[in-house]
Amino acid sequence: MRIAWWGLALLLCLQFPAAQAGDEERKLEAVFIGRFASYIEWPAKPRDRFVITLLDDNPFGSLLDDLYRDKRIHNKPIELRYATRLDQVGETDALFITLSSSAARAAAIDHAQRNGILTISEAKGFAESGGIIQLDFVEQKARIKINHAAALKSGLRIGAPLLSIATVLRGDKL
Amino acid sequence: MFDRISIRYKLIVLLGLSAALALLISSVITIYSTYLSESRSSLRVLHQLTDVISENMRAALAFHDGESARTMLAALRADPHIQFAVVNDETGQPLAEYRAAAGQAAVAPLLEGVQARIRENADLLGREEGFVEHTDDETMTVLRPVFFEGKPIGLLAVVSDTRLMWAKIRELVLLQAATSVVTLLLLLFLSVKLQSVFTRPIMSLIHAMHEVARTKNYRVALESDRRDEFRDLHEGFNTMLADIRERDDLLSRLATTDALTGLANRRHAMEVLQTMAVRARRKAEPVGVIMLDIDAFKRVNDLHGHPVGDLVLQAVAQVLQASARDYDLVARLGGEEFLVVCDSGTLEVTTAVAERIRAGVEACPIEHDPGATLHVTVSLGVCAAVPPSAAGGVEKMIRAADKALYRAKEAGRNRYVVAQEEMG
Repeated sequence: MRIAWWGLALLLCLQFPAAQAGDEERKLEAVFIGRFASYIEWPAKPRDRFVITLLDDNPFGSLLDDLYRDKRIHNKPIELRYATRLDQVGETDALFITLSSSAARAAAIDHAQRNGILTISEAKGFAESGGIIQLDFVEQKARIKINHAAALKSGLRIGAPLLSIATVLRGDKL
Repeated sequence: MFDRISIRYKLIVLLGLSAALALLISSVITIYSTYLSESRSSLRVLHQLTDVISENMRAALAFHDGESARTMLAALRADPHIQFAVVNDETGQPLAEYRAAAGQAAVAPLLEGVQARIRENADLLGREEGFVEHTDDETMTVLRPVFFEGKPIGLLAVVSDTRLMWAKIRELVLLQAATSVVTLLLLLFLSVKLQSVFTRPIMSLIHAMHEVARTKNYRVALESDRRDEFRDLHEGFNTMLADIRERDDLLSRLATTDALTGLANRRHAMEVLQTMAVRARRKAEPVGVIMLDIDAFKRVNDLHGHPVGDLVLQAVAQVLQASARDYDLVARLGGEEFLVVCDSGTLEVTTAVAERIRAGVEACPIEHDPGATLHVTVSLGVCAAVPPSAAGGVEKMIRAADKALYRAKEAGRNRYVVAQEEMG
C-alpha cells in the first residue's frame, strides 16, 4: 500500500510539468485564434460583431472570455459562443472544432464551407480532410497547417504572411 | 629666414602654400561630406532592410514561429556586411538569431550592445513607429519594434559593419590625395611660370637702379608698357631721377655761376680757362684774356647805395654777354672785377672784344630810379698769347692782364691796355 502511494506521488510529479506545458500551449492556442483572424479576409457580412464559436467541448475554460473581452477583430467587437451540436452553431465567422469524431468534423467542415466560416482544429488530419487551419504543438512549438484550397472554397482569403509561416496544402491535397 | 629668400621663391612658396591650403580645406570638406552622406546612406539601407524584415517577421512573431523567423533572418546572408540580427518575442526572449559566418567570435559584444540599447530605449521601442539607430566606428545598429494589432509582439535588431563605408572613404581619400598631389605639382609648375609676371618688372627696376648707381647717369628714363602698379613704380622711379637731375642742375648752377649777375663765378672760370689753355697749347693757338673793372664803382655805391651798385653790376654783365662771342667765357671774379676769356683769341680779336665792351658799357644807360639814369665806364687789361706750358701759365696771363688793367686805370680809365712785356 505504501509503495502504491509512493508510485502515485511519483506519477503526479512527472505529470506536473506536462500539465504546465499543456496550459501554456492552451493559452497560445487561445491567442492564435484571434491572430489567425487578423490575417484572413471574409466575404462581406452584414454583422456588427465578430463571432467565434467553439463546437463541442471547451478546453479553454474561461480563457477565451478573459482574453477577448473588450477586444476587437477587424474593428468589430468579439462575441464568443459555445455550441455542443452543429445545428447550434448558427452564423459565425470562426469555428474552433474540438469534435472527436471525424464524421462529425466532416459535417462541421461542410457546414463551414457552405457558410464562409473559418475552421480551426487541433485534430490530426484536420487540414487534409478539408479543414482550413490545423494547429498542433510539437515540443511546445506551434505547427500551423493551412488548407488553402479549402479556404478559397469557403470564400476566405488568407494573407501571405500567415501562409509564409505555415505548411500550406494546395488543391491536390483536398 | 624668410626675409633672406628671393621674392621669386617667396612667390612660388606662397602660391604653393595657398594652393596646398585650398586643396587641404576642399579635401577635408569633401571627405567629411562624403562620410556623412555614406553614413546616412548606409543607415538608410539598414532601415529599409529592417522595415522589410520586421514586416515579414510579424506573422512569425505572432505565432511564435522560431523556425520561420530563422529562415527569414537567414536571408540576410545575401548582404555580407550584416554581422548580426536578432528577433526577440514580447517577453524579450530571442526567437531567432542570425550570425554572419565570418563574425562568430565577435557576436557576444554585438549582442551585449543590442541588449544595452534595448534597455536604454525601452520607452522609444514601445511605440509603433519608434526605432533606435546607433553608429560607432565599426558597426551600425537599427532596432525596430514589431507590432501586431497595435500591441508590441517583439523587437528586431540588425547590426551591420561599416567596412563598406570605410572602404569608400578610403578610396575617396586616396583619390583625393592623388588628385591633390597632381594639382599641387601643376600649380607649382604654373607658379614657377607665373611668378615672372611679378618679378620681371621688379628685377628690371632693380637692374636699372644698379645701373644708375654705377654710372651716376641720372638722365636715363625707364620705359614700361604695363598699366598696373608696376607702371606707378616705374613712373615714381623716373620722377625721382628727374628730381635728382633738377637738384644736380641747381647745385651745378649754384657751384658755377654768380648769383647776382648769372655769369660764371671765379672757380668755374678758372676751371674753364685751364681747359681752354690746355686745348690751346695742344693746338698752338692763342687765348685772349681780358680783365676789367668798373671805374669808380665805390662812388656809385656811396652815392646811390648798394642796390644800385648791384643794378650796375647786372647791367655791365649784360653788356659783357652781348659783347663777347658765343663761345667766349664771361665771369665775375668778385666785387666789380670781371674776366672775359676769348677762345682762340688772337690779340686782334681780343682787343676788338675789349673795345666792344668798353664802348658798350660807356653807352649803356642804367636806370636806377624811374626816369633817373647813370652811366659807368670800365677799364680793361688785355693779354693774348699761346698759354705757357710751364705750371702756372694761366695765372701768369691773368696777372699780366691784371697789370695791364692797372695801367689802364692809371692812364685815365675808360680804356683798354694790352699787356706785352708782362708775359715775357
